[in-house]
Amino acid sequence: MNARRPIRRYSRLLAPIVGLALLASACTSSGPSQVSIPPSATGSTAPAATGTPSPAPTLADVFPLTLVDDEGTTVAIPAEPARIVSLTPATTEILFAIGAGSRVVATTDFDDYPPEAVPLPDVATFASVDIEKIVGLDADLVVAGGNNFNSPDAIARIRSLGIAVVVVYAPDVAGVLADIELVGRAAGETAAAADLAATMRVTFDQVAAATRDLPKPSVFYELDATVQIYTAADESFLAEMIELAGGAPLTTGSTTNFEISLESLVAADPELILLGDAAYGVTAEQVAARPGWAGLQAVRSGAIRAVNDLVITRPGPRLVEGLRELAVAIHPDLVLPAAP
Amino acid sequence: MTMRGDALAGDRIGSGLFEGVRRRPVILGAVGMVVLAVAVVIGVAAGSVAVPLGDTVGILAHRLLGLNVTQTWAPSAETIVMDLRLPRVMTTLVVGMGLAVAGATFQGLLRNPLADPYVLGTASGAALGAAIAVLIPVRTLIFEFGLLHGLAFVGALTAVTVVYRLSRISGIAPMTSLLLTGYAVGSLLAAGLAMAMYLSGSGLRQIFAYLLGGFEASSWIRLATTTPLILGATALIATRARALDGLLLGEEAAVHLGVDVRRERAILLGLAALVTAAAVAVSGLIGFVGLVVPHVVRIAVGPQARAVLPLSAIYGASLLAFADVVARLLGEIPVGVVTAVIGAPFFLFLLRRARTGYEL
Repeated sequence: MNARRPIRRYSRLLAPIVGLALLASACTSSGPSQVSIPPSATGSTAPAATGTPSPAPTLADVFPLTLVDDEGTTVAIPAEPARIVSLTPATTEILFAIGAGSRVVATTDFDDYPPEAVPLPDVATFASVDIEKIVGLDADLVVAGGNNFNSPDAIARIRSLGIAVVVVYAPDVAGVLADIELVGRAAGETAAAADLAATMRVTFDQVAAATRDLPKPSVFYELDATVQIYTAADESFLAEMIELAGGAPLTTGSTTNFEISLESLVAADPELILLGDAAYGVTAEQVAARPGWAGLQAVRSGAIRAVNDLVITRPGPRLVEGLRELAVAIHPDLVLPAAP
Repeated sequence: MTMRGDALAGDRIGSGLFEGVRRRPVILGAVGMVVLAVAVVIGVAAGSVAVPLGDTVGILAHRLLGLNVTQTWAPSAETIVMDLRLPRVMTTLVVGMGLAVAGATFQGLLRNPLADPYVLGTASGAALGAAIAVLIPVRTLIFEFGLLHGLAFVGALTAVTVVYRLSRISGIAPMTSLLLTGYAVGSLLAAGLAMAMYLSGSGLRQIFAYLLGGFEASSWIRLATTTPLILGATALIATRARALDGLLLGEEAAVHLGVDVRRERAILLGLAALVTAAAVAVSGLIGFVGLVVPHVVRIAVGPQARAVLPLSAIYGASLLAFADVVARLLGEIPVGVVTAVIGAPFFLFLLRRARTGYEL
C-alpha cells in the first residue's frame, strides 16, 4: 500500500500545475482578446486579405486612426508616422512606392530595392528582430510580415512597448493590392496607395486579357533544385501568378508543401521550365544535364527560360513587372500593351 | 561514488587542505556573486544601441532607487534599459539558475554524469508542444505568453509524467528504467517533432528559433510569471539537499540514512521537471548550462548537494547572463551556441586539471 503513495503524491504535485496550464492554453484559444476578425474574412484561421480590396472610407489621411491588419489585430496609430520601420523587403518597396520612403528609418539586412532603402540601418535578419534598435530609432510605426515571416514573439514584444505594428500577409495577388492600401492608410499615404493599387490592377487586367484566349502550356517553375526540387504549392501565390500569366502551373499536390519529387515531375512532363533560381547561376544547360531530366519534353524542345524570381514572388509593387515578365516567358510571341 | 576521491583527499588531510576545501564553497560562492554582478552590469550597459554609461546609471538610479536625477537621456534610452535590457538580464539569471539546479538534481537522482535537465523527455516534449502550437494559428496572449509557451510548458511536464509512469511498470532497476524510458519516449516525441516541422511550412522558422532558444522577447510580465515557479521549485529542491546526497550514494545507502527513497525521488523529479518546464517555456531549449555547470561545481567543491545546489544556481545564472550578452552583441546569434562555445573549452580544461579522480 505504501508503494502507491509516492505516485499519488507526485500526481498531486503536478496535477494542479498541469491543470492550470491546460486552463491557460484553453483560455488562449477561447478567452477574451484584443484580436478581432475583420467581417470580410472567411474564417479565423485565414483572416488575411479579402478578395476585393477593402473600400477605404475616405482618401484623406485622418489621424488618430485604427485599422485591422492582415492577422485581424486592431492597430491604433495616434498620429501620422514620422519614423517607420519595415521588417520585410516587400513592405519596404510598398512604402517607397507610395511616397513614404523618406520616413522609413530602418529595414532588414536583406532589403535590396529600391536603392535608397539599401543603406538604411538594419533591424532584422532572416532569424531575428533587433527590438532594442527599433526602440533606439524612436520608431512610431513598424510594418511587419505575417505568416511567421517575422517572429510573432518579437511582434508581440514590440507592441507591448507601445509601438504600433501593422502585420501584412498576402496569400494571393488581390491580397497584395489590399496590403498596399493597408500600408498606405497606416503610413498616411492613402491616396497614393489607392492610385498605385488601381494602376497595378489595370496591368493585371491587361495581362489577363492578353493571355485569355492563348493556349495554357503546363509550366514547371523551379524555385530551387540543388538538393530537393521546389516549385509552386497548390493555391499558392506563385501558382496564381502563373495562371494569371496564361500558364497551367505544375504544383506539388499540397497547399503547404513546396517540394516535388523528380518522379512526379517526370510524370507530369511540363511543356515549359521557368528557372526562378537563375539568379543563383542555374542555366538551361545545367538543367538538361541533370540525371533523369533529359527526357522531359521541355528539355528536348529547349523550352527552359530564366526569369527574375524577385519580382515574381515578392508581394510588392513590382509584382506587375513580374507578371508581365512571366507572361512573356510563357508566351514568347506575346506583345503586351505598354504599362500604364 | 567518490570513494577513490575521498581516499586520495584523505592523504592530504593533515596538511590543512581539508580546511581549505571546507571553506571553498563559501569563497566560490562569493566569487560567483561578483561574477554574477559583473554579468548584470554588462548586460544592462551593453546592447545594439549605445546608451552612455552615465545615462544607464542615471536611469537605474532614477527608476530603481527613486533618486531625483536630472534627465539627460532620451525616453527611448529609458525604455531600452528598463523595459528591454533589465528584464532580459533578470530572465537569463532565473533561467540559468533553474537549468543548472535542475541539471544537478537529475544528475544526482539518476547517478549519471550525462544527465541534464532534458534527459527525461522534457526537451522533446516541450519542443513538440511548441511545434504543435505553431501549427495552430492562435495569436492570443496571456501574461504576454502565447500558445507556444503554454504548450511547451505542458508538453515538457506531460513528457516527464509519462516517462515516470511508464518506468514504474518495468521490472528493472528504477533509475535505469527511468533513463531508458526517457530515451525511448524522447525518441518518439522527437519523431513527432520532425513530422510537425515537416508539416509546418512557413512556421518552420519559428519552431527552429524555439529549438535554439533565446531571450529576445523577455519582458517584466513574463519574468514575473516565470520567476515564482522557478525560484519556488529551486528553493524546495535546496531544502531536500540531504535526501539528494543520500540518493547519490545509492538506494541501499539512502535507506540506511533514513531517506524515504521513492517519495524523495518522486518529489525531486517533479520539482526539477517543473523548473525545467518553466525555463524551456520562457526561453526555448538552451543546452549545456544544465549539463556542465553542476560538473564544474562538483569538481571544485565535491559532491555534497548542500554546496553543489547553491553554487550551481549562482554559476548557472552567471554563465547564461554572460552568454546572452555575447549573443546579443554578436547580432542575436543563438544563445545555446554561445553557452557551448564558452562552456565546452572551459569544461575540458577543468577535466584535464581535476586532480582527484572525479566521479559522479
